Amino acid sequence: MKRAIGCLATLLAMSGVAHAQNTVTLGASVQETGALANTGRYYRDGYNFAIAKINESGGVKVGGKTYKLALKILDNQSDSNLSVRQYVQLLTQDKVNFLLGPFASDFALADSSVAEKYQVPMIQGGGASDQIFSRGYKYIFGTLPVASKYFGSTIAMMGKLNPAPKSVALLYADDAFDVSVAAGTRELIRKAGLKLTEDKRYSSNTSDFSTLISEVKSSNPDAILVSGHETEVLNFIRQAKSLNLSPKIYSFTVGVPTADFRKALGADANYAFGMTPWLPSPTNKDQYFGDAPAFVKAYTQKFGYEPDYHAASAVADVEAFAKAMQAAGTLDPKKVRDAISHVNFGSIYGTIAFDSAGQISLPQTVIQVQNGQVTPIYAQGIMISKPQYPMPLWGKR
Amino acid sequence: MQLLAQILANGVLLGGLYALMALGLALIWGVLNIVNLAHGAFIMLGAYVGYYLFSLFHIDPFVALPVSMGALFCLGYLIQRHLLNLIARAPMFNTLLITFGLDVVLTYLAQMFFSADFRTINPGYAGANFTLFGITLPLVRVLAFLVAIVLTVALWLFLSRFRVGRAIRATAQNLGAARLYGVEPRRLYALTFGLGAALAGGAGDLYGVVSQINPYIGAALTAKSFAIAIIGGLENPLGVVVGGIFLGIVESLTALYVGPTYVDVASFGILVLVLILRPNGLLGAAA
Amino acid sequence: MTPKLKVALAVAVTCALASLPWLASATILQFSISTLLLATLAQGWNIIGGYTGYASFGNSVFFGLGSYGTAIAMVQWHLPFGVGLVFGAVLAVVFALVLGIPVLRLRGHYFAIATLALSQVMTAIVSNLEIAGRNTGLVLPLLNGDPLFYELSLALLVLATLTVFWIAHSRFGFGLIAIRENEDAAASMGINTTLYKVLAFAISGIFSALAGGIHAYWITFIDPVSAFDLSLNVKMIIMTVFGGPASILGPVVGAFVLSGISEILSSAISSVASLFFGAVIIVAVVFMPRGLADVLRRFRKTGWRYFSENVKKYRL
Repeated sequence: MKRAIGCLATLLAMSGVAHAQNTVTLGASVQETGALANTGRYYRDGYNFAIAKINESGGVKVGGKTYKLALKILDNQSDSNLSVRQYVQLLTQDKVNFLLGPFASDFALADSSVAEKYQVPMIQGGGASDQIFSRGYKYIFGTLPVASKYFGSTIAMMGKLNPAPKSVALLYADDAFDVSVAAGTRELIRKAGLKLTEDKRYSSNTSDFSTLISEVKSSNPDAILVSGHETEVLNFIRQAKSLNLSPKIYSFTVGVPTADFRKALGADANYAFGMTPWLPSPTNKDQYFGDAPAFVKAYTQKFGYEPDYHAASAVADVEAFAKAMQAAGTLDPKKVRDAISHVNFGSIYGTIAFDSAGQISLPQTVIQVQNGQVTPIYAQGIMISKPQYPMPLWGKR
Repeated sequence: MQLLAQILANGVLLGGLYALMALGLALIWGVLNIVNLAHGAFIMLGAYVGYYLFSLFHIDPFVALPVSMGALFCLGYLIQRHLLNLIARAPMFNTLLITFGLDVVLTYLAQMFFSADFRTINPGYAGANFTLFGITLPLVRVLAFLVAIVLTVALWLFLSRFRVGRAIRATAQNLGAARLYGVEPRRLYALTFGLGAALAGGAGDLYGVVSQINPYIGAALTAKSFAIAIIGGLENPLGVVVGGIFLGIVESLTALYVGPTYVDVASFGILVLVLILRPNGLLGAAA
Repeated sequence: MTPKLKVALAVAVTCALASLPWLASATILQFSISTLLLATLAQGWNIIGGYTGYASFGNSVFFGLGSYGTAIAMVQWHLPFGVGLVFGAVLAVVFALVLGIPVLRLRGHYFAIATLALSQVMTAIVSNLEIAGRNTGLVLPLLNGDPLFYELSLALLVLATLTVFWIAHSRFGFGLIAIRENEDAAASMGINTTLYKVLAFAISGIFSALAGGIHAYWITFIDPVSAFDLSLNVKMIIMTVFGGPASILGPVVGAFVLSGISEILSSAISSVASLFFGAVIIVAVVFMPRGLADVLRRFRKTGWRYFSENVKKYRL
């Protein structure tokens, strides 16, 4: 028994990161396996890529000393309880200096309490729910735009369409992120003077939408807004086709910007509207990557798939730490925390500056899949390109 | 009225798909007394067989159906012959645990080899539909319903008309019965488990045409298959079809009248009620 | 060993464990809290599954009720933690009485599936309850006090183990074993089987619920999927069966060994941890189907043949 404990202790010690001099270690627990692995990989790869790039450029200067960055990453197997324990382990055993976040709002909600408890800042690019930032926590920062405003630009754009949609159906999953989106969207719909014909909450991981679709079809709204997970969005579109549901416009919070989505649906992905806080525009200049298009090229070459806003957000998280450490001139977690709240810099992802709650403010660009390509349509009051509207009936494509 | 008719039609068609998913589970449970927690993983693997045949070789999913079934039959046969037979007479917990372990391993391997990307089997007619008395009927679901009926009847005929089939049924009553039919029990067990896995594989192939697939769809499908198998009863494959359709209709009506978040309350609540009130299934002999 | 010596040893080990917060690092402490809670859950399952022979998949429901009882009391009603724990335990007892009576009439796989379905029903019901924060969950107040959580978990495990010890040596326990071996014969011997089974279910439930309450306050965030996590129930079964069902210390040893393995795997070879865990289960079930306790008892006599004999005994 004693020997067993000895072995255990050695193994636990071995798994820690060897601390070389002048290294700042960032710790993260992300979904490398399990149901969320598909999106979790953007964070794993984004973090790794940004850290490699920053080290290539010579590292980070903090108070006259140059530090290299290192990453300690653990797989939470898409289990939020495990992820909480892993964050504690990262802080107490692996002695990482700062924390990067997991994917998804419910994880960020649980894990941010570790950051708060240990007073070590966490910058996370995977959770957008307003709930994360409404608890008065001081050590959590987020680089996704506020969930409640996800559909803001879409609804603004709808007002400029001809003929403008008058009635809307709102469908949303019952998890933290999507409930936040729905609460905000309901308000936006009311303010825009649109008629809300259906307002339906469905269970996360629903795979059969036939009842919902038939119901929506019988109330025949002009627009359908769906806030859910990518798997649900894929099922929804396929089943909408097979039940002949053709609104004038439909839009989805997730899925549309990813390459995966277009590959899985083929031609059926066309005409779907969505949104992204990030498009790889050359105006997004970055100290380490040059600009956003250069980042996309390098990322795709390195990892074999295209990055979307999740990956860009992950890169911004790492860069925000680099900037904050430089500004603070120390690695003291409290001082770095204060420096994070004051950062203001341009990155491949956009301008990074946090509000008093710790969240970033980025406009959502409305996008549409046109002939298999993601096309930016509308942002900040400007119609960027012509939307394909109204959506043709399924039989007439 | 129109809406209600449409919802009922949706429910019946969903039920066909459900029946197909649960058929193999009911067979394995009824005959071998193994509660196979890896059943959903088998469905998932069947879906991937269909997906790769379609995306690499452009083989139509309905043509690929026997291939999916054959591949899963082999896998199921091997698993029973070389693994599950080793614990055939161990306490009940052990079969639950080992199939759970199998589920974890198969899911992990699926992510390793197939990646966590979301896939669909998307032939040109996947979204096709036709209208009957104002009700929209998705073509693929109607076909899947027919496949479910055909496979159920075929299984029923096999179990009642063929010598091996009768040996399988006799085994459900008495483990040693296989010998009376001149079949080696080890082989018979493997054969039965293989058949169950094959049915799961077939269900997976068609599931991929109506829904997205990824390595993690299995757990929810296993749970749902339990509900259908129990409601329908384990004695007769035809009961599973009734169970599937019943559940499909109940779920659709719940989603319409109570709300889409109450679907699981209804389906698993009914499962508990059926177990308490009619443990042999809706069609089975009363308790 | 004489009984007195055994008691002395048990007290010494408990005291040694109780002093851990002053000796160990925060990571070890956290690992220990989660292991102690798992051991308590396994011990709870041991009562209904090991002694009574009912393969419950409903113990994660008790855990969830305990978590939510505590969370609702603390977050919605602003009551102290202790009251929350009691409230959670009361919920578990009510559940055990109301649903235990009809469900415990079922035997074998049917009972297992009924409880499995109940856990799905409870997940779905809670995710529709406004007071439970629906499916988005509840955030509990932060308490930076791992030593406290550790001592609470340890006390709970000691209490659960003492209860199992009492069961193993009491008339009640013999009644449960009789039910496991042959329920009809037990009934004809004059044992009130329904009463015995429901009691066992409720006791099992109280411990699971208390563990759930501690866990909720410790982790500070719960939602239906994590609180009613079915794989937690599977873990309880695995730990009990691995350690030795219907033994007093088997589930505790099983929990310590298996969570040790899984913790090392998930931090050392993070991304293949789940594969190994699945493989360990399969291998353990095939080669040591009656648990670690049985291996320890018989390995000395039979040597390596122990494993092949097991296979020979249970194979077709």
